[in-house]
Amino acid sequence: MNAPFFKYALFGDEMSLVVAFVIGIGFGFFLERAGFGNARLLAAQFYFRDLRVLKVMFTAIITAMVGAYLLGRLGLLDLSLVYLTPTFLVPQIAGGLILGAGFIIGGYCPGTSCVSAATGRIDGMVYLAGMIGGLLGFAEVYPSIERFTKITAMGQITLARQFHLSYGFLVFAVVLMAFGAFVMAELAEKFIGGKEPGPGALLEPVRTFTPVRRFAVVLTGLGVVALFAGSPYRSALAQVDTKQLALDALRAADQVTADQLADWLVEGRNDYLLVDVRDAQSFAAYHIPGAVNLPLSGLNHDFAQRNERVVFYSDNAIHTAQAWFLIRSLGFPSVYILAGGLETWQEAVLYPRAPAAGAAPKDQIDFAKRMAVAKFFGGSARGATSEVANPVAPVLPKLAPPSPTAPAPDNAQPAKKKKKEGC
Amino acid sequence: MTEFTLYRHNPLLDPAVHVWGWEIPVYLFLGGLVAGLMIIAGVRLLIMRPTARQALVCCTVGPLIGLVLLSAGMFALFLDLSHKFYVWRLYLAFEPTSPMSWGAWILLFVYPALLANALTHLPEAIPALAKRVPVLVTISDYILARPRIVVGIGLANMAIGVALGIYTGVLLGAMGARPLWNSAVLGPLFLFSGLSTAAALLHGILVLTTPDDERPQFADFLLSMVARWSQARPLDTRIAPTLAQADNSFLTIELGLLGFLLIGHLTSTAVHQQAAGLLLTGPYAAVFWVFVVGLGILVPLVIQHLELLHRIRHTIAPSLLVLSGGLVLRFVLVAAGQASHWATALP
Repeated sequence: MNAPFFKYALFGDEMSLVVAFVIGIGFGFFLERAGFGNARLLAAQFYFRDLRVLKVMFTAIITAMVGAYLLGRLGLLDLSLVYLTPTFLVPQIAGGLILGAGFIIGGYCPGTSCVSAATGRIDGMVYLAGMIGGLLGFAEVYPSIERFTKITAMGQITLARQFHLSYGFLVFAVVLMAFGAFVMAELAEKFIGGKEPGPGALLEPVRTFTPVRRFAVVLTGLGVVALFAGSPYRSALAQVDTKQLALDALRAADQVTADQLADWLVEGRNDYLLVDVRDAQSFAAYHIPGAVNLPLSGLNHDFAQRNERVVFYSDNAIHTAQAWFLIRSLGFPSVYILAGGLETWQEAVLYPRAPAAGAAPKDQIDFAKRMAVAKFFGGSARGATSEVANPVAPVLPKLAPPSPTAPAPDNAQPAKKKKKEGC
Repeated sequence: MTEFTLYRHNPLLDPAVHVWGWEIPVYLFLGGLVAGLMIIAGVRLLIMRPTARQALVCCTVGPLIGLVLLSAGMFALFLDLSHKFYVWRLYLAFEPTSPMSWGAWILLFVYPALLANALTHLPEAIPALAKRVPVLVTISDYILARPRIVVGIGLANMAIGVALGIYTGVLLGAMGARPLWNSAVLGPLFLFSGLSTAAALLHGILVLTTPDDERPQFADFLLSMVARWSQARPLDTRIAPTLAQADNSFLTIELGLLGFLLIGHLTSTAVHQQAAGLLLTGPYAAVFWVFVVGLGILVPLVIQHLELLHRIRHTIAPSLLVLSGGLVLRFVLVAAGQASHWATALP
């Protein structure tokens, strides 16, 4: 079982929300136990009286960082599939200042305000209500500030890549930085806030090897391991698990049917990337709505986010399959082929064939749906008898200027009219 | 084939039932809440010792709020009617096989029962009002002097409350065309959901009015304004743990009934299994598990349990969670019910 679980489809979209809820409740529980439901305690850190927030948050960061590094290095977690928020430097600094001002005024950050509201504090509930109002307000003004939110885009970057450091070195440096910050925090609490280091502090005035100190040593040790253990990312060299690929191909788990793709498009889903691997000329003549054109020669390891679901299609089955294999071997986990390519798309979606007169009601209903879908894509239905009468494929709709060599079938017209009355 | 399609799309044969918006769920929620308030008020009126007269929250505040909420709910129901001016026709006949007819008549009896319960102790709750309208004192004295009437009012509130609570579920359950609703468990489920929201509402009111050092001054100021205007006695906060305990029982039963509803569907026909799938893993799963089961039942159960163990203070957080959970339960069931259907191929 490989992580990230969601990207490897251990559970679906709906269940991911339930999982998020369970994780969120757990996160909130431990924030509350750390005392973060109390605005006074959160504010105390600005006066150096109690820097618990800094300690808890920084501990969480280094624990997650060392853990993610080790899991990645052991091959249990594919770090390149973990979502990174894109960086927009100036807008994010502006947003950070607003959030900081809100933190100082209200005494909560968004997460702790939820914790506070859940423990029944009225100020937390008011803060939460204000936050929801702010979300609505932001959504309303977003069109007018959209340009600002897009400036200084830097993409999905990490510190290690930006400053050309090794990932392990960065882990080690951050762990050291965290413990430096903890010691500084406790000194600040002592000399500015007037609070002596108590039990559980790093600087607790005892000579024993307390649990906190043991934890610090272990984390630092893991940081040293990270320093020398190399990159946690999967190797950039192509690693092909031929057996897995063969199994996927055998079970047709790598295929998306034309009907399925049509449903996705009608539903307006945008959680996949539809790639047309034909040349630019054919693409300009017709392409499935929403597709991007990327000829076979243009495929490389950064043509899309690695966690993107990619669907290839073409009018050439071999080219599609080759694209699928290339991209799979580059380590993209979810790559699909439009089964039957453009030809099937044309047959099944754009110009569905009416069932015979005496067909079962189920087929009739099915065809009614197909007609509506065909209309959505600018196609039309064909009569049941057209198969024999007119074997020529009908022209592709709209996008293509009608090619003089392929005459439009006459029988497409009546079917279209009938449909307008029905559905 | 065209014939077939037209035949099924005829609104007289295939009524369009995917047309319920926010009005019906809101009405079902408020109806269940009022039913719960009635039952709690009736029980409290019956088991109260005549000398104690500490029944203000359950027996006066509850029914008064119930009157307001029921009117709001009936207004939502009225907004949903297509032929608004023919409402009176519901009261020209009683049709024993129609849940709608039962509901119309039950709602007619809810008002006097709630009002009688509220009037029994009204002069004690709001002395200022009683001074201006002396007839309130007369009515209250008349009722309290005759124990049989008090018992009658209590029993009537309980009986009509149960009827109202179950009817809101039967209203959906009787709709055979929507497999998700087609279960007799829906009646008790809505009844106990209504009871839990009612207990949570009363508990929340008690918590809000309890004297508290940490409350912001403006809130204390508002409360003291209301208290001075009505010259009311402070509410009896001793009943708060009982209400929290009752709420926990109701929530537990509600959870069990939800389980029965889903088990019943899962062991039924494929159509019913698909309908249950809408809530279990389908498009309504996230809302159902997170807002109904998680935030609406399990989290308040834990919080109230800790409150009862004196581990944490009584707060309004569980009340708000239970109330929103009850509302979301109605919304989810109405929306998912309308999405469930027999002919899977039909849109």
